[in-house]
Amino acid sequence: MDFQSFFMTFLDLRLMALVGAGTAAGIYIGAIPGLSVTMAVSILISFTFSWEMYDALALMIGIYMGGVYGGSRTAILLNIPGAPSAIATALDGYPLAKKGQAGEAIGLSTTMSALGGLIGIAVLGFAAPAVSEFAIRFQPRDYMLLAILGILLVGSLSGESLIKGVFAGALGLTIGCVGLDPLTAQERFTFGHIELWGGISFVAVMIGLFGVSEALMQLQHINTPAVKQKISRVIPSWKSVVKFLPLSIQSSSIGVIIGALPGTGGDIAALMAYDHAKRVTKDPEVPFGKGARAGLVAPETANNAAVGGAFIPMLTLGIPGDSVTAIIIGAMFIHGLNPGPMLMIERPEMFWFILGALVLATGFMLFFGLTGIRLFVKVVELPRAMLFPLILLLSIIGAFAVNNSLTDVYWMLGFGVLGYFMKLYGYQLGPVILGVILSRLIDDNWRRAIISEREDLGRLFHGIFTSPLSLVLFMAVVMIFFTSTPLWPMLKKRLRRKADPAPKA
Amino acid sequence: MHDPSRRLPGERLFSVLMVAVSLFLFHTATKISGFSGLAEPGSFPMFATGMMVITSVIITLKTFRLPHSDAHGWKAVFPGFVIFTAILMGFYALALKPVGFLPTSFVFLTISTWVMSRGSLLHALAVSALSLVLVYVVFRIVFSVLMPEGVVPEREIIAYISSIFAAGE
Repeated sequence: MDFQSFFMTFLDLRLMALVGAGTAAGIYIGAIPGLSVTMAVSILISFTFSWEMYDALALMIGIYMGGVYGGSRTAILLNIPGAPSAIATALDGYPLAKKGQAGEAIGLSTTMSALGGLIGIAVLGFAAPAVSEFAIRFQPRDYMLLAILGILLVGSLSGESLIKGVFAGALGLTIGCVGLDPLTAQERFTFGHIELWGGISFVAVMIGLFGVSEALMQLQHINTPAVKQKISRVIPSWKSVVKFLPLSIQSSSIGVIIGALPGTGGDIAALMAYDHAKRVTKDPEVPFGKGARAGLVAPETANNAAVGGAFIPMLTLGIPGDSVTAIIIGAMFIHGLNPGPMLMIERPEMFWFILGALVLATGFMLFFGLTGIRLFVKVVELPRAMLFPLILLLSIIGAFAVNNSLTDVYWMLGFGVLGYFMKLYGYQLGPVILGVILSRLIDDNWRRAIISEREDLGRLFHGIFTSPLSLVLFMAVVMIFFTSTPLWPMLKKRLRRKADPAPKA
Repeated sequence: MHDPSRRLPGERLFSVLMVAVSLFLFHTATKISGFSGLAEPGSFPMFATGMMVITSVIITLKTFRLPHSDAHGWKAVFPGFVIFTAILMGFYALALKPVGFLPTSFVFLTISTWVMSRGSLLHALAVSALSLVLVYVVFRIVFSVLMPEGVVPEREIIAYISSIFAAGE
């Protein structure tokens, strides 16, 4: 019976319109250089907290799917990836546009994105129930390790240094601790202020870090003129779709797997798929980097397939795959949903609803992607001087609207300025929001794990070393730390010297 | 884009500030429940802030060893536009409740559009009015977001307009 929820968005006109509006908004926002999908989701989500849960989810899913795809447009046309997941798209997409084949490149990337998206959703549909069944057997220590692993992976893969990523993650965990302790109601970091008992609003942190700081960052280049674009025919030929079908299926598999790993998302999936395409394409029509269509197809299928993948850990374990899923998890909490293994048991209809909305969003993405090019060009050409004041205004309204509180607006401004400097000096912001979301989960599970071992660290480690799953997770955490210490390059050098002894003089 | 092999102006100060904040937060965390047990309310905050202290110290040490970048002075990292916008947003937040959403937003949009576009004031006024109408219709009416009314009797105006429409039916 729960499967019927899959068709909810198709049968309810209101929900269908929300998915469509979200997808269109996601595509356009994702396509404007400087506006990311994270920014779009974080600002728009704040307006949906008073809505029905289904309405809010329909809009969010649309924005996410559309935003991941929208980034490819500017990557192809301007060589400016609208989102990190479109970095690999620019490598061959832009050379194609320079040759006057922008329309074909957009058409091909749209069709392949939709295909990748559908494959990702299909895998989500089959894998999530199995993963959640397995996840019920997880011990509290496994959850704790998995959450730490997620933050570390986001920290190490998304920026220039793991240490800065760990700092950002720890900062997020600390922000998440502010307020009354959920178990003992003891005050933590409240400094005697009653207003802080409920903690710092997650929405304020989110909009500050991803809305305001991003907009402030872009103000540095406020005088860059908007670029004029010209696009021809966009519907791709059937021949080229069929030609790249095997490659797109392979890249989709890479996308789903990478997306499903906690902490890794579409950006890494796209780069890995690009690399894979380079290795398996024996005779590209033109060399990679000079406008090879295989180099466009692979990252575009992978990053959209990663969306379905990213929903797997989010829905089954409650652990976000990237910043966007972290924000969606936060929104689900506010709507009274608890993503995790129990979601599939207690609210299976939610799972099917999400799956249906994802499929519909993919359909809308294909439709909007292949039509409305003229309007699209107009939106992307909007002068920044008009756009950024509007974004800042929406950020303030968004932060205020959730609790009708000016305190949240001040927090948002504070985090906006902090985020600006963190970005400027090379700190990653993704781990901060992941830390805020996962703080409670790690704290709860740490305390449960240590209490069940009678507060004996020795027994806890014995438990970790005797359970294969805990051991694997623990070793992964240790490995990530180890590879960022100076010991790692030293060990690598020594191993290399052993394998290849220097010739004697 | 930040170049990890060069130190930007203010980067040293920022990293030292992060160490100071981390130490302060760690000190606060130790006071939650002390070192009495591993499952106490303060144990996880101590772990998180402890990580902040360790990592911020490492970052600071690394930052001090980096050579200068070509950018010099505060203006290179914190340009006038950014400072101006941050301050303007602060004023907006302060005025939002007493003055109300519509006038505050209109002034905010006009000033920021005018300064950022370096165009005519008339153009900025027109663009801001248009943007504000759009925002108002989408967020106040479609999304039903409640914003402070302040000096504008918004509800009365909406009631008056709907009464005109009702009378016309």
